[in-house]
Amino acid sequence: MRGLLLMLLLTLPLAGATNAAEVRFFNWSDYLPEEVLERFTAETGIAVRYSTYDSNEGLYAKLKLLGGKGYDLIVPSTYFVDRMGREGLLLPLDRRQLPNIRHLDPHHLDKPFDAGNRYSLPYLWGTTGIAFDSRRFDPASLQSWADLWRPEFRESLLLSNDVREVFHVGLRVLGFSGNTTDTEQIRRAYERLRQLLPNVRVFNSDAPLVLFTTGEIDIGMMWSGNAYRAQLENPALVYRCPREGCGLWMDNLAIPIGAANPEGAHRLIDFLLRPDIARLIAEKTRYASPNAAAVRQLSENIRNNPIMYPPAEILEQGEYGTDVGAAVTLYAKYWERLKAGD
Amino acid sequence: MISLRTVYLVGVLILLYLPIAVLAAYSFNASPVGTNWERWSWAWYRQLASDPALIAATLNSLLVAVMAASLSTVIGTLGAVGLRFGRSRWRGQIMGLLGITLMSPEIVMGVSLLVLFIALRLPLGFWTLLMGHITFCLPFVTVTVLARLGDFDPKLIEAARDLGATQGQALRRIVLPMTLPAIVAGWLLSFTLSLDDVVVSFFVTGPDFEVLPLRIYSMVRMGVKPEVNALATLMFAVSLTVVIVSQRLLQR
Amino acid sequence: MTYRLLPTWLVLFTLLPTLMVVAVSFLTRDEAGFIAPIPTLENYQRLLDPLYLKVFLNSALTAGVATLICLLIAYPFAWLLSRLGPVWRSMLLTLVVVPFWTNSLVRVYAVRSLLAAKGVMNSVLIGLGLIDEPIRLLYSGWAVQLGLVYVLLPFMILPLYSSFEKLDHRLLEAAADLGANRVARFRRIIIPLTLPGIAAGCVLVFLPALGMFYVSDILGGARNLLIGGLLKDQFLDARDWPFGSAASLVMIGLLLLLLSLYRLAQGQAGERNPVDD
Repeated sequence: MRGLLLMLLLTLPLAGATNAAEVRFFNWSDYLPEEVLERFTAETGIAVRYSTYDSNEGLYAKLKLLGGKGYDLIVPSTYFVDRMGREGLLLPLDRRQLPNIRHLDPHHLDKPFDAGNRYSLPYLWGTTGIAFDSRRFDPASLQSWADLWRPEFRESLLLSNDVREVFHVGLRVLGFSGNTTDTEQIRRAYERLRQLLPNVRVFNSDAPLVLFTTGEIDIGMMWSGNAYRAQLENPALVYRCPREGCGLWMDNLAIPIGAANPEGAHRLIDFLLRPDIARLIAEKTRYASPNAAAVRQLSENIRNNPIMYPPAEILEQGEYGTDVGAAVTLYAKYWERLKAGD
Repeated sequence: MISLRTVYLVGVLILLYLPIAVLAAYSFNASPVGTNWERWSWAWYRQLASDPALIAATLNSLLVAVMAASLSTVIGTLGAVGLRFGRSRWRGQIMGLLGITLMSPEIVMGVSLLVLFIALRLPLGFWTLLMGHITFCLPFVTVTVLARLGDFDPKLIEAARDLGATQGQALRRIVLPMTLPAIVAGWLLSFTLSLDDVVVSFFVTGPDFEVLPLRIYSMVRMGVKPEVNALATLMFAVSLTVVIVSQRLLQR
Repeated sequence: MTYRLLPTWLVLFTLLPTLMVVAVSFLTRDEAGFIAPIPTLENYQRLLDPLYLKVFLNSALTAGVATLICLLIAYPFAWLLSRLGPVWRSMLLTLVVVPFWTNSLVRVYAVRSLLAAKGVMNSVLIGLGLIDEPIRLLYSGWAVQLGLVYVLLPFMILPLYSSFEKLDHRLLEAAADLGANRVARFRRIIIPLTLPGIAAGCVLVFLPALGMFYVSDILGGARNLLIGGLLKDQFLDARDWPFGSAASLVMIGLLLLLLSLYRLAQGQAGERNPVDD
């Protein structure tokens, strides 16, 4: 009994004492090489407490419940920057503390989900398109999302396990925006997606790349970073942005409104925007960097790879996800029905 | 002559260990992705050793697991004894609450506990995590111990008391030793549960206390990480060693 | 004295949060802040949709089959285990549990690798010349069952073992002396005396199995919506806490109903209920 008490006392100091010279960074897992934080601390003397999450929704729920407090730097995706910004959960960024903004590629700035980049700055980005094994399927015959509905793909497709990404496909084939809040459009997308169900083999949002490289799946939705890596393993893999347009995703650096150390957070953001650091991040995580100066420093075959860094037309055609407000319940309702096999 | 019994026992063990063997094999596979064997490599273990955050998270998780298992075993065992031999009129309700804890979906538990902690103004971190873990471990211990106590004859206790023992002594000297397998089973179950928990931990831990299952969960979901295979294999090897060594020590 | 610990803990950490969940289930979803203090019965009405019955039945079926398979595998194992000498027994027991100290998610992924098209099983079968092309083992009901059983087996073995361990073998010897054959001994002595262990094991496997949607997602292709997934969608994606709370409570309610029916049945069969007097 006494031993137990002693153990309890010893662990007391472990319980949350926050330091002033410390930044609490809440990021996606596997999204930052360790050495970046080590170099930051070495250069600035500010320690970083790093923890991770694996979904925007989890991040949002936790942050919301904590009233915007608890973390100094977070990395939400586009539609969550939108939502959190509107709900006053984010601190407007102070440009004066962020001289390295100039290195960012203007193509990725000032997007509808955060006009003028009031609350966020891009961290890593990519596209969501169709990937398939060209030995099994003729590349010329797969040019649009609509092609996935063909009966020859029965029980073979991999689709993202994400309501917005899948509905993006359903809406685009009908010519609608993936961010619509129109109930009729959403319903029609649901009806269309129902017809796609017999072709689906797997819903998967974990590394779909594994399913491709193990030969489990020959065709499906994929993210650009994953597709690039899969292609390295299997050169016959083709990734393309369909005619109707790719999905565009982006994860962004943002500061919660209740951050205990906003100055430290700004310094960390500025550090992450430095070209050599941004290049390191892009290389290690194998995703595309929105930092133009960093991209110039990347090796040629990555820089010119159309999967990782597609031409500007692709970006024009693609759509970033924005918040759909209350319509999210409608999307969720139809998603439920789709997943329940209805 | 190998009997059917041995075959069965060994068979089940093989079933249990096969995926672990696969894990271990991949942890030495130089190829980071897919099931294609490239060549033998220690690379992932080296990478693991140079990842202090992961190691810290592992130690954190082990600490929480040991404490959560131990505390919930103590509380649960005493509770089970109290339920079996006590004369509380709240017995049905307590069983009901245990049932609710068992049945509560993790996400509901995680969110509601978080709201509770916020209402009580508790800082999120090690202690809130521990409290959350004890909560979901309790029913496992209690149910296991109760099952064992089920047919326990209360007359044994009466007899002991007739011979002069107090209630406490009777329980400690008679009931406890006989219930020991169930208590140990409960501890083992709780330890396993705690090491594995993701959802509840996500909501009730603080930024200062990163736990392993959360990191593994995200790492594995964001992309296959052979580092994780190496970690899992290592944890397995270490636990196996600890177990075998403690067996030898106990035998002396 | 310290027997009060359990009830106190439960009241604080289970009853209080559960009451909150009950309260929330009668409120309305709020776009900005999760919950609006507007009382309504709408959430419960929504649950009457046959879709949710289908989800619940699917989940219950999956969990039920997994529980049954666990029972069938674990029962002989626990029996044999209890018959071993003390040295072998404790070693084997810990050998059973040790694999489960590696993260279960990682192990499920290992199972996936086993069953994959280019995975171990297929490679072995092809290597042995039994098949020419890889068979699609993954993304089927059986793959999910394998995963569930694999993760939950010790939760059945341990309570069963603890029950077998206290089985007095002299009872069996006496029965044998009185002429009972193996089947009779099994039916009339072993099963009734291990019933508490069976019940405990089934409860400890069935209930977590209901919530383990990630196994179904990883090994089953996530094509079937199960309760766990539904709740996660509602709480996190749709941010509809009131509806999620109502669904959660109804599920708990149904399970409590099943449990009490089971205990009633046990009572009627003349078994001494271990908990009530």
